[in-house]
Amino acid sequence: MPPIAQYVFNGIVTGGILALPAVAFSLLWRLLRFPNFAVSTYLTVGAYAALVLNAGVHVPLELAWLGALAATGAVALAVDRIAFRPMRDRRPFSLAIASIGVAFVLENVVRFVWGNDFRAYDVPVSRAASVAGLRVGREQLLILGAAVVLMALSQAFLRRTRLGVAMRATADNPLLAAVKGVPTDRVIAVATFGGGALAGGAGVFVGLDASIDPLMGGGLIISVFAAAILGGIGSAPGALAGAMIVGIVEEAGTLVVPPTYKTAIGFVIILAVLLMRPTGLAGSRS
Amino acid sequence: MIAYLTAIVTLVGVRALLTLGLNVQWGMTGLVNLGAVAFFAVGAYTSALLAVGGVSLVLAWPAGVALAAAAGAALALVALRLREDYLAIVTLGFAEVLRLFLLNEAWLTRGANGVTAIPRPLHAWFGGHYPAFYLLLVLAAVGLVYTALERLRRSPFGRVLRAIREDEVVAAVAGKPVFRFKVQAFALGAGVAGLAGILFAHYLAYVEPNMFLPQESLYVWLALILGGSGNNRGALLGSLVLLGLLEGSRFAKDVIPFLSGVRLAAAQQMLVGVVLVTMMSRRPDGLLPERPGSE
Repeated sequence: MPPIAQYVFNGIVTGGILALPAVAFSLLWRLLRFPNFAVSTYLTVGAYAALVLNAGVHVPLELAWLGALAATGAVALAVDRIAFRPMRDRRPFSLAIASIGVAFVLENVVRFVWGNDFRAYDVPVSRAASVAGLRVGREQLLILGAAVVLMALSQAFLRRTRLGVAMRATADNPLLAAVKGVPTDRVIAVATFGGGALAGGAGVFVGLDASIDPLMGGGLIISVFAAAILGGIGSAPGALAGAMIVGIVEEAGTLVVPPTYKTAIGFVIILAVLLMRPTGLAGSRS
Repeated sequence: MIAYLTAIVTLVGVRALLTLGLNVQWGMTGLVNLGAVAFFAVGAYTSALLAVGGVSLVLAWPAGVALAAAAGAALALVALRLREDYLAIVTLGFAEVLRLFLLNEAWLTRGANGVTAIPRPLHAWFGGHYPAFYLLLVLAAVGLVYTALERLRRSPFGRVLRAIREDEVVAAVAGKPVFRFKVQAFALGAGVAGLAGILFAHYLAYVEPNMFLPQESLYVWLALILGGSGNNRGALLGSLVLLGLLEGSRFAKDVIPFLSGVRLAAAQQMLVGVVLVTMMSRRPDGLLPERPGSE
């Protein structure tokens, strides 16, 4: 039986992966005012985009990963144009239902093309190193490093660039932002593309860490929601903290409950946060 | 062909009940429930496990409905105060956790093996005519529930539900205990879904956890939105159209034989998704919109 520190380390890696779609989901919810159930399916889209480049065209995985960012961002943008934009002024719940339909379509496009089989990237098999008694995989470090860089970049974008500030302004008060001359449509397009890219990049990590199949993203939906809600909807640092907590609790939780109940742990976190502190860790107004 | 049609119409009847149940919650009262399949499963498993354990169906069936309604009431008490987008997530999660419970708690639910040899009511009496009998049983249940819900819709209770749907603050100001009405409506809808589950379980004589995947809840939504939420006729029509979508692909296999089974299933589900998105965005009122003032 590995020490508890091993579970915590695995949880941190899981948290690093979850943080990317959680930030995307959280910011898009705040900006567009509906929970986009398709975000977790963007992970699947990204994973398969990289699979095409890596196993199909034999591009190294690092480059394939960049390709997956762009491809998933583009898919997210197309989805927004076709499905969500015509419904912008409708009640949030209608859009949420539509987003479930979108997730269903994307998942089945993947299934149609690649089938239900589990797949893996064409990468050299590496042995896990032992660091201070912990089993640490090369991929795990790579994933963690890339996730940290992506998170830092998105935070810098939101805080330091004009467009990032405009995005936060629109999220806080769309009407006021529009009156002040913020190009709302452009802000939404950039956020959608960026959110899709973040989720798509995370999908490659999941594929590297576990395996690739059509349900890989959809299966994480509760964990992503839990991270975003725990962090407080609309807060990027909150979503990051939430993802770390969810990742660690889910991994360490397998010491207490069977691993098949991971999703249930996320659900309990969601219920607990909503009932006790609906604004989440970040504690901003909802 | 007759056997096939009988089986199909029986399953449409089961879906129609599920849709009528969701119509009480969403269509009449405006309560979000993305986990309709959970109450379907509670009804199916409760009745199946009791019956297999030797309890008479006369007791097992009401117990299935009661437990499904109780599960609905319990979830409603905890979650109905949440904003509707949160409620969407919570109900979806609830259904998924329930499925995990069915899968993992084999001591109670027999886990992934499922419950087999569920007794079929009056099976010995009807022999070869059994499928026809069961079809009539299901249709009778649909007719009964439909009539009861139509009366309910026109009753003072139904009017309060619609008032809550349109504006719950106004309903509250008018002195209605809004939360209590909501919990009752949610439990009632869950009970109807439970009845659907019972009829389903005793029809197949077999249930297993993966019959209750989240996409089943999506199908119920699609049926309701297709038909037109808020009116019970729409719920029936929607179930029928949904069947056309789901079963039509079976015949597509003969027309386009080069598609493998997996691809055909994927294409069918893509179609379901596309129809759902299109209906949500272009025809949110469905094929049979609720008529204003249809008392």
